[in-house]
Amino acid sequence: MLLRHTPKEITERSALMINPAKTCQPIGAMYAALGIHGCLPHSHGSQGCCAYHRSTLTRHYKEPVSAATSSFTEGSSVFGGQANMLQAIENIFAVYNPVIIAAHTTCLSETIGDDLKQIRKKAITEGKIPEGKYMISASTPSYVGSHVTGFSTMVKSMAGLAETTGKKNGKVNIIPGWVEPSDMEEIKRLTTMIGVKTIMFPDTSGVLNGPLSGEYKMFPDGGTTVAELISAGDSIGTLALGEWCSAAAAHELDTKNKVPCQVLDMPFGLKATDRFIDALRIIAGVSVPDELSLERGQLVDMISDMHQYLYHKKVALVGDPDQLIAMTEFLVSMDMCPIHIVTGTPGKEFERRILEITKDMPFAVNVRAKGDMFLLHQWIKNEPVDLIIGNTYCKYIARDEDIPLVRWGFPILDRQGHQYFPTVGYKGALRLLEKILGVIQDRKDRDDPESKFELVL
Amino acid sequence: MMRKVAIYGKGGIGKSTTTQNTVAGLAQMGKKIMVVGCDPKADSTRLLLGGLAQKSVLDSLREEGEDVLLENIRKKGYGDTWCVESGGPEPGVGCAGRGIITSINMLESLGAYAESEALDYAFYDVLGDVVCGGFAMPIRDGKAEEIYIVCSGEMMAMYAANNICKGIMKFAQSGAVRLGGLICNSRAVDNEKEMIEELAKMLGTQMIYFVPRDNDVQRAEINRKTVIEWNPDVPQADHYRGLAKAIDENKMFVIPKPLEMEELEKLLMDFGLMN
Amino acid sequence: MATTTKKKIVQWDPAHVKAELLAKYPSKVARKRSKQIMINEAQGNETPEITANVRTTPGIITMRGCTYAGCKGVIMGPTRDIVNLVHGPIGCSFYAWLTRRNQTDAGLDGENYMNYCFSTDMQDSDIIFGGEKKLAAAIQEAYDLFHPRSIAVFATCPVGLIGDDIHTVTKRMKEKFGDCNVYAFSCEGYKGVSQSAGHHIANNQVFKHIVGENDAEKPGKYKINLLGEYNIGGDGFEIDRIFKKCGITNIATFSGNSTYDQFASAHKADLNAVMCHRSINYVADMLETKFGIPWIKVNFIGADATAKSLRKIAQYFGDQEFIDRVEEVITEEMPKVLAARTDVRTRTEGKTAMMFVGGSRAHHYKELFNEMGMRVISAGYEFGHRDDYEGRQVIPDLKVDADSRNIEELEVEADANRFNPRKSAEEIKALENAGYKFKHYDGLAPDMENGTLIIDDLNQYEAEKLVELMKPDIFCAGIKEKYSIQKLGVPMKQLHSYDSGGPYAGFEGAINFYQEIDRLVNSKVWSYMKAPWQDNPQLSATYGWE
Repeated sequence: MLLRHTPKEITERSALMINPAKTCQPIGAMYAALGIHGCLPHSHGSQGCCAYHRSTLTRHYKEPVSAATSSFTEGSSVFGGQANMLQAIENIFAVYNPVIIAAHTTCLSETIGDDLKQIRKKAITEGKIPEGKYMISASTPSYVGSHVTGFSTMVKSMAGLAETTGKKNGKVNIIPGWVEPSDMEEIKRLTTMIGVKTIMFPDTSGVLNGPLSGEYKMFPDGGTTVAELISAGDSIGTLALGEWCSAAAAHELDTKNKVPCQVLDMPFGLKATDRFIDALRIIAGVSVPDELSLERGQLVDMISDMHQYLYHKKVALVGDPDQLIAMTEFLVSMDMCPIHIVTGTPGKEFERRILEITKDMPFAVNVRAKGDMFLLHQWIKNEPVDLIIGNTYCKYIARDEDIPLVRWGFPILDRQGHQYFPTVGYKGALRLLEKILGVIQDRKDRDDPESKFELVL
Repeated sequence: MMRKVAIYGKGGIGKSTTTQNTVAGLAQMGKKIMVVGCDPKADSTRLLLGGLAQKSVLDSLREEGEDVLLENIRKKGYGDTWCVESGGPEPGVGCAGRGIITSINMLESLGAYAESEALDYAFYDVLGDVVCGGFAMPIRDGKAEEIYIVCSGEMMAMYAANNICKGIMKFAQSGAVRLGGLICNSRAVDNEKEMIEELAKMLGTQMIYFVPRDNDVQRAEINRKTVIEWNPDVPQADHYRGLAKAIDENKMFVIPKPLEMEELEKLLMDFGLMN
Repeated sequence: MATTTKKKIVQWDPAHVKAELLAKYPSKVARKRSKQIMINEAQGNETPEITANVRTTPGIITMRGCTYAGCKGVIMGPTRDIVNLVHGPIGCSFYAWLTRRNQTDAGLDGENYMNYCFSTDMQDSDIIFGGEKKLAAAIQEAYDLFHPRSIAVFATCPVGLIGDDIHTVTKRMKEKFGDCNVYAFSCEGYKGVSQSAGHHIANNQVFKHIVGENDAEKPGKYKINLLGEYNIGGDGFEIDRIFKKCGITNIATFSGNSTYDQFASAHKADLNAVMCHRSINYVADMLETKFGIPWIKVNFIGADATAKSLRKIAQYFGDQEFIDRVEEVITEEMPKVLAARTDVRTRTEGKTAMMFVGGSRAHHYKELFNEMGMRVISAGYEFGHRDDYEGRQVIPDLKVDADSRNIEELEVEADANRFNPRKSAEEIKALENAGYKFKHYDGLAPDMENGTLIIDDLNQYEAEKLVELMKPDIFCAGIKEKYSIQKLGVPMKQLHSYDSGGPYAGFEGAINFYQEIDRLVNSKVWSYMKAPWQDNPQLSATYGWE
């Protein structure tokens, strides 16, 4: 037993978190920043933060992740990190020459009160940011929110670059939230298919799913350009996908640049994708092409074909709020029963949304924001499930309890595909469904007695 | 346009008293003001609230978690001023500076500074010196834009004022914060007024007002009121009105030039303090 | 196979390479880096001086991590029956959760917390009001849930800033429980210049709070401790297999798959064998001073090095029976190794490698490359000190700077009751006269060829440049460096956590490593970089479909 010390009996814990279902803000800020073309993320804190975030993102994507650090020492912690940051800015432009630096704070620099906006101004005054180069910053104390908050805050800082010229550009801003590069690519395919011109930010496609060609580009070809970010202030509207990940940036564009916005759920599964496509169609005033209706129909077809393997299957979910809300809805829409749902990210609104989506389900639902995977495991011990959906850390629970696992979320450290195959949209939902069916049917084939073993499923 | 004012000064110099009395003066002029106490002792709005205890932002945060509402942390005091106490840890634990950062961020996110609030002034009453990044929060970009330093003719008060100027200078180079002047809260030291005027000149600023020492201040405090509320007719009430008017009409905003230690000592010598 | 076996001729001049590495830097950075890039000309005891264990320049994309990573991640991470509780925001504990590939089993006692991640998950209000109460509550909850033998608490950056007194909290909890040792590590990330400071802090506390706690006699004739072996990819398991075969009793491994009791009984060993000099030489010194246990440097990376280290251990005990047994084991193990070696050498001979890892690994793995007939043309450490490059003789001359001064130096003296010199002065002398070396480490530089480049704290930019200029056949560093190197079409092997696979220690490990490197440098994949139309982009004629 891998998690041999986890008792079935649940005791209330007020101070000890065990096996977290979240990590800290800065890694989210770093991931978001990688979605800007020519951007070098910068971690304003101790070296270890940057090393840990780069390592984790690298293990998840199997791609290079470059980011710089202010390399705090005890001295900088006492005297403030301004000198380190200014030196870093100078060195970064001299050695790596990015288009833009996207800096974020850490618990260390936040606690001592370093103000990156002020340091940026000083750097500009001192001529340390060359002509035509940019720097943005996000305040991401690790002891507030989660990695999702950090992502959202950095995306909001990107929106801060938007300018209003008064002349609309005829585009729709799409803020995709923390999804995989493949998902971002899929969202672009969908918008192109419908015929909507978009500015999508961040966009990690072409950055974190690059080719092997004998050439290393520190700044790969993908990513939202700074010019696009600036132009986002002239867009006709913003579609923000995911309340937790994307709403803050959309509201920033709304208040600052008067670009109206709509916040939708992330387009995972049938219904959320329906709402996304419908919103796009209405904003752009176009009709949805038949090819897309066909994709939708194929998804519905597979749900109907395989419904017998899905119906009333109990599922345990762990991940981030926006993703879990959409996934819960998708599972419920197929008559599956997500009964244990945990996110590490705080937000009572999350629990409310989940309870609303699952209110007609025939089983009681355990849901917890600011929870952890230890609690999830205990819930499973008390009320077993047929399937777990979550990140790689779930495999310890899955093996101990002998439950099928679909890897979905962050981080995935032991399987491949998330970089290349989307789970958003109808095609993505088909892939999710394929994966879910795959593990459920593999389990059936493994467990059925020989007399009941079947060729056709 | 809302004016954003921070009052700094050495501990025990009478910052909170001066701030609240000045705010009362401004309120009498019909100004809409929010006072944010940035002192873990949480006593920066006591007089405006008639001695009522105010639940601090940080206590609310600790108890309510993410569900803090503006009405939990903001009370209406004398002259319809909004009173907020940041609060903080007990001495010797935690990080008071971080507390100030968190409080001000929370006020912003809850919309306390929103245009709809129609504030004329936001006042920050900040404990002591700019000892760490947290205590500099009010003078960071976009927060307080004018600073007044409360001081007196005592050496340590002047020393602290000079130190605060160093802090302002750092942030002024890259932001909008400027020094609006020194407020002399008299301790009846010899040559006090002249000396502070000279200090102000050397720092490149002005002594915006000389508040004489008067026992009415203490009498009002015992009654848990500002002087203006306690007895609007006493001369000290006029002084605070004068200070309020001076601030309201102030046009002199500078980046201070802090003095070298020798210059400061020479000033004290010249005015007969070091003899 | 055509492209992979193509003999390539790379001409480079070390002075030119060094100049190229520095060319793009602002002058201040160039000046500093210049002292950390050394063209090797070590001869005998005359090793040129390199600057090491100094701050990384802000903005330079370093390979280094922090003090916390060294303390919790490296040293205490692979202890299995201690609840390692991180006091801080969630990230620090999350990132150090199962990511180093330290293999473990629960042993007969069934205690194993390595698959768990414990944190106080500090929130904003804990920073403002102080986190001591939450820490005490978390320790209590861990105790109530698991009743572990021991709970270790690790400080993260903000804890040091707000001044939580973690040592008092843990002391109080220890007294309260009575049957659970609780102690803390002040390993805030901003201390020191790299992970190295964290190793030191970890070792100090282990020595102070655990070593010597269990005085029960341990059975075994040839009792040693293995210091600085972290069981990555099962290295420690392979070494233990060999020890067992030889009749060596390993009292305590510091700290791969270790238990509290192993540390507590470490003073019962008669010899300390030090693997990773950088991370643990402090403990070896302290064990000698306090308990009289001598230490020797060993290396179980490389089959020849393994044999040499086993002989060194046998020679120390001096028992002919034992010496013979060790020879038997070596004779038994080596044929398989040699067969594998002969096989891979046909494909690896003459190939070149670069290694930038750790504080000893870049040196240890040179043995394996040598065995495969490969040349290491550039190497360096991520967090080594000068003695790891130049040898221990420079230790008295090391500068104590601001960054090393804030790390506690324990004052250790001989234990009044338990100090027991395992060898008399005469015995030591006799061994030394026979060429035996105690407390001895020559460092990396003397083992490197002349004219190779030794580079401390290599960064991403320099790594890319080095590969471009010196075109190695394989590059070894950590996960962060892996894919930027591989994008260039050069295979990259992680030598921190090995990517996958292992063990690479001992005899079995050597075979694994030969095969792994053979696989990497001779993989067909490196020949697929260009598509046919990219190799010949000019169309000379169109195809006639019509």
